[in-house]
Amino acid sequence: MTFKVVGVFVAGIVVLATTAVVVDAQGPIRIGASMSLTGTYAKLGKNQHEGYKLCERDLNAKGGLLGRKVEMVVYDDQSMPATAVRLYEKLITEDKVDGIMGPYSSPVTEAAANVTEKYKKVMVSPLAATTSIFRKGRKYIFMVISPAEVYLEGLVDIAAKRGLKTVAIINEDTLFSKAAAAGATDLAKKKGLQVVFTEAYPKGNTDFSALLTKVKSLNPDVIAAGTYFDDAVALTRQMKELNVNPKMFGVTVGGDLPEFYDTLKQNAEYIYGSTQWEPSLPYPGNKEFFDSYKKEFGHEPSYHSAAGYAGCMIYAEGVKRAGSLDADKVRETLLKLDMKTMFGEYKVDQDGFQVAHKMVLFQWYEGKKLTVWPDELAAAKARFPTPPWNQR
Amino acid sequence: MSPARLFQGGLVVVAAALAVYPFFGTGYGVRALLQLFMWIALAGSWNLISGLTGYVSFGHVAFFGAGAYTAAILITNAGWSWPLACAAAGVAACGLALLIGYPCLRLKGPYFAIAMLGLNEVLRALVSYFEGLTGGGSGLSLPTLQASVPIYYVMGLCAAAVTALTYVIITSRFGLRLMTIREDEVAAEAMGIDTARHKLYAFLLSAVGPGIVGGLAARDQGYIEPISVFPLATTITMIVMVLFGGKGTVWGPVLGAVILFVSQEVVWARFPYVHQLLFGAIIVAVVLLMPRGVLGILQIKYRLPRTV
Repeated sequence: MTFKVVGVFVAGIVVLATTAVVVDAQGPIRIGASMSLTGTYAKLGKNQHEGYKLCERDLNAKGGLLGRKVEMVVYDDQSMPATAVRLYEKLITEDKVDGIMGPYSSPVTEAAANVTEKYKKVMVSPLAATTSIFRKGRKYIFMVISPAEVYLEGLVDIAAKRGLKTVAIINEDTLFSKAAAAGATDLAKKKGLQVVFTEAYPKGNTDFSALLTKVKSLNPDVIAAGTYFDDAVALTRQMKELNVNPKMFGVTVGGDLPEFYDTLKQNAEYIYGSTQWEPSLPYPGNKEFFDSYKKEFGHEPSYHSAAGYAGCMIYAEGVKRAGSLDADKVRETLLKLDMKTMFGEYKVDQDGFQVAHKMVLFQWYEGKKLTVWPDELAAAKARFPTPPWNQR
Repeated sequence: MSPARLFQGGLVVVAAALAVYPFFGTGYGVRALLQLFMWIALAGSWNLISGLTGYVSFGHVAFFGAGAYTAAILITNAGWSWPLACAAAGVAACGLALLIGYPCLRLKGPYFAIAMLGLNEVLRALVSYFEGLTGGGSGLSLPTLQASVPIYYVMGLCAAAVTALTYVIITSRFGLRLMTIREDEVAAEAMGIDTARHKLYAFLLSAVGPGIVGGLAARDQGYIEPISVFPLATTITMIVMVLFGGKGTVWGPVLGAVILFVSQEVVWARFPYVHQLLFGAIIVAVVLLMPRGVLGILQIKYRLPRTV
């Protein structure tokens, strides 16, 4: 009698143990990334992180990936390349994640890419916009957004069409902003504008008075700035204080965040910003993304959120079509993939360099961002020229 | 077995374990330990000048950055092998220390600290300015090379060398003179110690380690930019590690580096928004509650020798 009971008990345990093993083999697909949750890029990194989180949720709502649930594993890299290198090494060798997504910003991606290449892991990098990262013979890295060089194309184009003559170009002295400024300089020269001033300021700079005084004395028609968030805000404030009045003023990154307007209020009016994406753009699924993001996180998405979301979806699509998590198979699929996302088009060349995605230029208009360039996507005509500070 | 023997035995065991670790450990483990060695070497080096002579350097990361750029430029532009380039980085940092230390070590108290702070900012600006050589704000990307394990060993040797050097200095007459300067510089001079020369020697020795380690870190990460190798935060971290462990001691910097680095990796990484707050709190707590650091307290409580 007791023997039987023990037998049943043992059998039960065996059955339980096997199911446990089976369930384990079918565990979630884990996708790892390091993210700038603190440090210089915290604000932008947070948005990208939320894009990842929403992607995770939406994938799981549709039954996951390859029949398995998806789980994001994210660590804080403090916006430091050295920390990111360590964390990607941890994700790959200790956590043994199944897939990798890129961090925020070009410098951090540049460093992290060395690790992912070493272990031959596919890394879709949604927020790295510097061309050189993708032109080093790396095989497993994929670009989602338009390159830094074309960020200010819209601003320069409108200026040229409106018959403006002179432009001052300033930028934060880091990988991305520098490339954006260099691109703007080339485009301006090509379109017959005269570049009368160029200067770079160090990262973390908050005092622009010396720089702006020089700009003011040259009185350029256009000021184009390769910025992130904090410097974009500080520049605008100090332009007002020093009464610098160009006919157009445009920034690269940061100007598109809702916080930019919240911080500057009516001083943000008329300012141009370039962006990879806007909620109003007629891309498939864009409205649904905007609504569900707002509902989930209680604030509007920025293009960093959208790029994070799209990048994650592109990686998922690659895995789905490859039918496998194998890096080389996913790589082949991603190289061939031509996909229309809520972020715009995705298509890369043999280096993984983005060739299909389009930039847009917007202008702050009574607290809203209105797309003013390119013409086929424009929602309104630019309010031109920008009036002096005391008339805004 | 005497406690001293026990300690030496333990040390041998730890060293042996670390020496064979790359054969068993993961890539992450190697990389994390490599960065721990880096912090030990940095904290130990800061201790040599600031812990022993009392001259607080707020810009020690300048030597780290100078080393990183020296090595990176020699590797990318001149095609040097990395061990050679890192040795050159140590020499360059030492040269820089001579240039700066000769006038600045005559400054007393806060003036020296501020001068060092300035040095770091000046170097960062210079590196950004000479774009042709340094890549400016775009940074320098080194040719891809997977050498984490060799760098792990060299970094480990650096950490050991700095610690051994500290022991040798503290147990020597040279070390005694340095500590005399810390306690009372006027008295030291009155006793016939050439204070300027002694401070300069200590300063030169304290610059070599960060120089070499900076070169190694640059080679290991494969990409450097001004902001990532000249951050003030690195100097602050060195200082906190030494204060926490016990300044002016042999094992204090090691203890501080291990405790703070490990807790950051294991605990704080899970609470990204609190950890900077915690770091600040630790600084305040250490300064208020145990100015002599963990080791300082142990020394008093258990009457440990000065040479610990």
